[in-house]
Amino acid sequence: MGSFKQIATLLILALLVISVKAEEPLVVVVNKHNPVEKLSRTELIDLFMGKYVAFPNDLKAIPVELNGEHQIKVDFYQNLVGMPLSRVNAYWSRLRFTGRKREAVFKPNETDLIAFIIANEQAIGYVPQSLITEDLKVVYILNE
Amino acid sequence: MNKSGIVIRLAIVIVFTAVIVGLITTQLFYRFTFINEQALGKQSINQLANTVSPTASIASYLDDEELAKEVVNGLISNDVITSAAIKTDTLMVKSDNYQQSADTLEFVLFSPFQKERRVGVLFVKANEVHLGVKANNISVTNAFVVAIEALIITIISILVTYSVITRPILSIGKALHLTNPGTSDRIDKPASHQNSEIGQLADDVNVLLAKAEQQMLREKSLRNEVQVLESRFRMLFENATSAIVLIEPQGDILLYNETFEKLTEQLNLPLKKNYGNYLQDLFIMKKELHEQIQIAFANNESATAELELISFYEEKIWMQVVVTLLVTDDFQENYQITLHDISKRKQQITLLDQKANYDGLTKLFNRQAAEQHLKQLTTTRKPFALIMMDLNDFKPINDIFGHDAGDEILIHVSSQLLKSLRKADVLSRWGGDEFVIILPEASREEVINVCAKLSSKLSKPLHLSQHNKSVFVTASMGVSFYPDDQVELLELIRSADKAMYQVKKEKSSNSEKYLAFTSDITSLANESKQ
Repeated sequence: MGSFKQIATLLILALLVISVKAEEPLVVVVNKHNPVEKLSRTELIDLFMGKYVAFPNDLKAIPVELNGEHQIKVDFYQNLVGMPLSRVNAYWSRLRFTGRKREAVFKPNETDLIAFIIANEQAIGYVPQSLITEDLKVVYILNE
Repeated sequence: MNKSGIVIRLAIVIVFTAVIVGLITTQLFYRFTFINEQALGKQSINQLANTVSPTASIASYLDDEELAKEVVNGLISNDVITSAAIKTDTLMVKSDNYQQSADTLEFVLFSPFQKERRVGVLFVKANEVHLGVKANNISVTNAFVVAIEALIITIISILVTYSVITRPILSIGKALHLTNPGTSDRIDKPASHQNSEIGQLADDVNVLLAKAEQQMLREKSLRNEVQVLESRFRMLFENATSAIVLIEPQGDILLYNETFEKLTEQLNLPLKKNYGNYLQDLFIMKKELHEQIQIAFANNESATAELELISFYEEKIWMQVVVTLLVTDDFQENYQITLHDISKRKQQITLLDQKANYDGLTKLFNRQAAEQHLKQLTTTRKPFALIMMDLNDFKPINDIFGHDAGDEILIHVSSQLLKSLRKADVLSRWGGDEFVIILPEASREEVINVCAKLSSKLSKPLHLSQHNKSVFVTASMGVSFYPDDQVELLELIRSADKAMYQVKKEKSSNSEKYLAFTSDITSLANESKQ
């Protein structure tokens, strides 16, 4: 029950944060040459949580993450799976313990992240809407 | 110890009950424990499933066999789980002994990120054998505990029952056994039961004993009274001068006293059980006895009779017999017969009778008796001859030899006269030297014969020893017949007297003459008148 309350409180806080950033929703983008036009939420989760390592068209996918506890990263996971980043990290720690390696690339900031996606056709990542460029293709919009 | 004693019985009942209750409790407890253990097992399986479900969810979500195996192995390492399996769309990880069956528990696994998305199922099979063994162990322990408890309760119950109930009751029983009812013995109340039911029992027993004592005392005094009364009655009965006999209607003797016993000895009779109805065999005149009894009983009276007893001795025994009808309480008729000895009185009466009717000197009837006899004959109109006799020259003898000699002569004459008379004839001394002889139904010839006999007897001389002289007397006799000569008694006597004097008168001329008949004198007189 305690944890449930905590989760509720966090959710409310997150919503507040989201509402603050409401003007600028997060978007999931791929290389503009990537044939994938649109992704469902489930496909997105499966890609980022390690279930699949390929796009629905069987093209290998390389998720691009931000390093550390970046606010955008926090917001993204909160939005996508409703979990704080710490739990997501714990998830990965456990998987790592059973010998499963994550096929992801980590970038220190949004600029590097965007650059990697532009440079790599298989990459997929998340950025605030305001940072979208011509070379990026939006496949999913969060915070809608 | 008594086989059906309270303690033994109670012990049997308690042990029996304890065994039954123990069995039932153990069974119930086993079932309860088993169900409880099952529930507990299920609960712990649920808990285990909950514990592993995040990992299992991840394993299913990622179709990660290694992770799934880890989960399955973790589950089956638990006592309560026999086998387990995880199944996803593409993967099936199970323990070696896993087999799908109806009692397999299912836990649906959802995606760790999307709560509505099913990613697989976790199958778990509970270890029933383990649960049974566990329940069994608990039940065995419980049964053992119950058995010990029952044993303790039994022992305590028996001890308590013995000390609280049985021992006091036994002590009361023992005291009662030693008590003598009717005495002042009482039972002690057990000290620990002053106010309990057992105390009440002791009190009630004591009340009963007190009542018994009272009754015994009353009975004792009553018995004493009866004894005293009985001894008095016995004294009265046994010492009665009259013989008293109680007999049945058939004559069987029920009771007799000492006097009666003596009477039978006196009569030289054996002491028998029956002497005939109303003891009739003892009496000479049985008929009279029965007559008297019949008359008296018809009038509801006691019968009284004076009867002579059968006796071997000279002396006559006369008894006044009183027969009384007694009806007992159960309506049986008995007779009380009292025999009162009246022999002495009877003798006295006889003596008196003799004095009144007999002449003291000659022992013949006196004039009064003779007159009575005559009266009786005339009233019954029986014919008879009356002889008036007078001794001749008695007065001179009397004068010469004295009165003693006269008396001697009179006795001599009397005895001589008696010798020549029949039994039915009556001889009486009429007075002085006069005698009257009554001959019932005698003819003239008979009278003549008798008178001749009398005269000849008288002619025998009498030796007067005192005077050493022999004398003889003659007599003059006048005879008259009833009713031929006279009907009137006085006239009859007078006429006989006249005839007698006629003889005396003629004696001077005819010394041989001694007899004259009234009828002859009358005819003579008639002749002389003519």
